[in-house]
Amino acid sequence: MITSFLGGIFLGWSLGANDAANAFGTAVSSRMVKFYTAAVIGAVFVVTGALLEGRAGIETLQGLTAFDLKKAVICSVAAALTVTLMTVLGLPISTSQAVVGAILGIGILSQRLDLSGLSKVVTCWVATPIGGALIAMLLYPLLGAVYNRMNLNLFQSDRLLKIGLICSGAYGAYALGANNVANVSAVFVGAGSITVFDATLLGGLSIALGILTFSRPVMETVGRRLVRVDPYSALVVVIAMGLTVHAFTWIGVPVSTSHATVGAVLGIGILRSVKTVNRRMLGNIVIGWGLTPVLACLFSIALYVASNLYYVPD
Amino acid sequence: MLSFLFKKEHRVEALIYDYLETVERTHENFLNALTACIDNPFCENFEFFIDRTHKYESKADDIREEIKTLMYGKTLIPDARGDIMGLLEAIDTIPRLFERILYIIQTQKLEIPDFLIPDLKDLVRLSLECCELMRRQVVALFKKNESIRELLNIIDTHESHCDRIERRMITKIFESGITPFLKLQLKDLTVQIGEISDQADRVSKRINIINMKRRV
Repeated sequence: MITSFLGGIFLGWSLGANDAANAFGTAVSSRMVKFYTAAVIGAVFVVTGALLEGRAGIETLQGLTAFDLKKAVICSVAAALTVTLMTVLGLPISTSQAVVGAILGIGILSQRLDLSGLSKVVTCWVATPIGGALIAMLLYPLLGAVYNRMNLNLFQSDRLLKIGLICSGAYGAYALGANNVANVSAVFVGAGSITVFDATLLGGLSIALGILTFSRPVMETVGRRLVRVDPYSALVVVIAMGLTVHAFTWIGVPVSTSHATVGAVLGIGILRSVKTVNRRMLGNIVIGWGLTPVLACLFSIALYVASNLYYVPD
Repeated sequence: MLSFLFKKEHRVEALIYDYLETVERTHENFLNALTACIDNPFCENFEFFIDRTHKYESKADDIREEIKTLMYGKTLIPDARGDIMGLLEAIDTIPRLFERILYIIQTQKLEIPDFLIPDLKDLVRLSLECCELMRRQVVALFKKNESIRELLNIIDTHESHCDRIERRMITKIFESGITPFLKLQLKDLTVQIGEISDQADRVSKRINIINMKRRV
């Protein structure tokens, strides 16, 4: 039983390693916050978010199709393989898309697919970057007016931004845990292997493990590559990402923190009429957006077929 | 509140005030040296104040290095780090100019002709006033106790006035009957003194940009 969860733990670990960068990438890559401080805060808040609000997403994903434990493991492994491959290719990753793609693959083969839930999920994928952009466009002038009214000197402004980035990073990690825990362990709940609480705990801890052990290089590179904005804009981006992902948690759909972040960065770019994300980056996002669910679907089909091959002697 | 979390930032802030005070001491000693030189060229006082100017200029350099080391030890957000370092480097040009001007007079054994003295005094007074206004502007950036914009406008006006005095002095030098070699020496000295207000004006504009950058 425990070895069956390894696929899920691996997926959670890679999710934590990759997505924590969206919450703390700017702060860590620019040396505003020490990595270990960010990692510990991130890990604690991911687990808290998963435990307190992870249930809704798990219920949505488990509703897409009913699996046995074998199919759940195949799903996790297919999603984890997709995430790894996309990371190697340097394309922005959505673990949610990988998991849903893998679930669809198994669902297609076993002809037990609930498409009513799928439309909700796909709509939310499209809405994530748009939501991130809109929230950032709303927050930027709103918080800006408060910030300007405070008339802070250079040191006060520095302290406020530092504290703000830590708090917003913690909130982003909380939203990540609450929203993305479903990607890690929903399939096991669907297979009836564990309870929802156990799933949130297992998922939360595996994401936290990813943050604590392997998020440093991703935070330092992705944080710099994705967000090339001033510290105030970086703060708005992280808050907008947290709010967007948190809103989708209430709806019960796991979404991508990377997509929400890119949407928020673009939103600020539109508002200030400056280019915040380069064309190549945008192209990669679109390719990644389309390729992730397809690849995960193909991987899960291939793994499922392979697992059902039997050697028949002559 | 939370001040224990920002010990290094407080230390940087304190060092910046130390730095500004040291630059002010350099400025005072430069003025004393120049006054001594005009009153009685190459007197003991002149040499004494040159040494003091040099001493404070070196001390300012040391403080700047300490700030740099402290800041690159992960103090302040990178944006603020870059702004402060750029600002201190720009300010540091001024004490170096003080020292260079005094060394020109000392090493070239320059004696200021009487016809230049009133303009020279005016130019030095206004240039040093620009420096003082610039110092107040730096304090305003960190304490928000004065309007940075208003100080910028005053410095700008003073700098234009200094440019006019500088041009007038150079015209007078070349219209005078002194030797061509002395003319070139005095022109160089005048240009160097004029550079003080120019640099104060550059720093002032930089401070204004740093301040503007912190508005959304």
